[in-house]
Amino acid sequence: MATQVENRVRHSATAAQRSRSPRPVDRAAHFRRRMRASDLLVSLAVTSAAGSVALYLAYGGAGQFGSIGAVITSIGIIAGLIGTDLLLVMLLLAARIPLLDRVFGHDSVMATHRSLGKPAIYLILGHAVLLTLGYGITAGLNPVAETVSLWSLPDMPLAFIGTGLLLAVVVTSLVAVRRRFRYEFWYAVHLLSYAAVLAALPHQLSVGGMLAQGTPERVYWIALYVVTLGAIVTFRFVEPVVKSLQHRITVAGVEQVAPGVASIHLSGRALRTLGSSGGQFFIWRFWTAKTWWHSHPISLSAVPTDTSARITVRALGDGSTRLGRLAPGIRVSIEGPYGLFTDAARTSPRLAIVAAGIGVTPVRALLEDSRLTPGETTILLRSSSDGEQYLWDEIRQLAGARGARLYTSVGPRAAGAGIAGARGAAWLSGADVGRDVTLRSVFPNLDRSDLYVCGPQAWADRVVADARASGIPAHQIHVERFDW
Amino acid sequence: MRTRAALGSLFGSIAVLVIGWQAGAAAAHNAGATTSTSSSSTSSGSSKTFTGTTAQTQFGPVQVKITVAGGKLTDVVAVQLTNDGGRSVQISNYAAPILRKEALAAQSASITTVGGATYTSDGYRTSLQSALDQAGLK
Repeated sequence: MATQVENRVRHSATAAQRSRSPRPVDRAAHFRRRMRASDLLVSLAVTSAAGSVALYLAYGGAGQFGSIGAVITSIGIIAGLIGTDLLLVMLLLAARIPLLDRVFGHDSVMATHRSLGKPAIYLILGHAVLLTLGYGITAGLNPVAETVSLWSLPDMPLAFIGTGLLLAVVVTSLVAVRRRFRYEFWYAVHLLSYAAVLAALPHQLSVGGMLAQGTPERVYWIALYVVTLGAIVTFRFVEPVVKSLQHRITVAGVEQVAPGVASIHLSGRALRTLGSSGGQFFIWRFWTAKTWWHSHPISLSAVPTDTSARITVRALGDGSTRLGRLAPGIRVSIEGPYGLFTDAARTSPRLAIVAAGIGVTPVRALLEDSRLTPGETTILLRSSSDGEQYLWDEIRQLAGARGARLYTSVGPRAAGAGIAGARGAAWLSGADVGRDVTLRSVFPNLDRSDLYVCGPQAWADRVVADARASGIPAHQIHVERFDW
Repeated sequence: MRTRAALGSLFGSIAVLVIGWQAGAAAAHNAGATTSTSSSSTSSGSSKTFTGTTAQTQFGPVQVKITVAGGKLTDVVAVQLTNDGGRSVQISNYAAPILRKEALAAQSASITTVGGATYTSDGYRTSLQSALDQAGLK
């Protein structure tokens, strides 16, 4: 077993525990409900893409494949329609709609958002190229002359600008390019996508004959835009501003937990009504001259009371280094809560938690916020040195109070453990791997457990790979990316 | 993707595509029927008709014939309208009455572009202007 067994299952539960434990939660039923919602939303998204093609068919598009020019033109129109639909779906995914967060979780919503970026841009670029060719062939013009003639049409210059903006957004979002810029630069460029989507709209309504005035197609298309932009305005701008003003959150004090790690204590009004669950995060903005332009996604490290909340942060970027020096009284604005690293994501009767480094913070809040029966939970904390055991004392206390087993694995990982095919659990300490400690030996009931993993991404990926290799289905694994 | 989501997506997509396809087939049928009747023209003793030049657009030719009585533009009839497939025919069908009304109101070729029918509107203006020139109006 891992280095030390901290707490055996305690059966001497206190009165307070007994009152929170007995209510049986039908996690399977809850999970099935969530999956039904998920299936419905996925189907809707795909159907909306097909719907945009149906618009073209409704306009007699099926008869538009008579000549080579017409074929190219038709494919170009369809590419534009699907591409625009994907763009709108992407914007909806990035709108932080609470329903999507509850059903899929912020991480996977954003992963889907990213994965749609390339298809969308290829379709939009294909649309521009194919239509220039197709119109050119029909009118007997070469592509350059056709481009010039397109440019002179109303709203087309705007559409070309929109395409250019979109290209800028996608190029700066490519991982390799993004690393060269500050996050804030990338974010500012990303905001251009809204401008790009809006710039493309006029030409769809004027030059694109199929969305002509007075047609139901036009109504549907405009409605798509209104719903998407409405969701963005509501959930990304209005709601965060209103929440921030209502709850009047300020910094109450900063407590050094370890070198480079600080807990920021916050005070505010009616913080419970924020409705956050343990394990969720907010996006925080601290209003000082040097930090206001930098937003930080940070998990709550404790369940908020009505007047106070706490986050714990490790200095990684230069922005989060400054957070350790925040003075009391500084105003804080928030977006959130986000994330599905919570009790609501549970699917199975038992709970297995693996956390490393600063990744313990959401785990700490999750434990505090969950109704757990004695023996239900097993926790494994991982650190490469004694200095990185942030909040471990608090986890020990909570594990004791919740009747959870707690194991730790301290020490550097085995040499060559990062190499694929290396023996055993490469995410544990080398010493533990040497003693044949495995995921299964720490969590003997893993098949009937939800596995919550939180820590640095490369490490978390290894844990997940190990769990998947040992036959745990994906829906039982819950990961919180924790690179900040 | 989960099986149910995949099936839901598949059948949802097929359903809307079929609806779109059927709507398009019905629209193309109707469009064909109305264009053939819209090319009829009227004439009377005291009025003169002038036929404008044919303006070539990406979706086909546009040509109008105007009727002038007492120095006033009294009617505009589209002899040819963009007809490159059912799509253009449909655009023409809805744009023509709007363009005609605008031309009669303005008594000139300075008419605004009809949304969704940019090419048709451009061609209409060009042909209308040449007809007006022949008639010696504006």
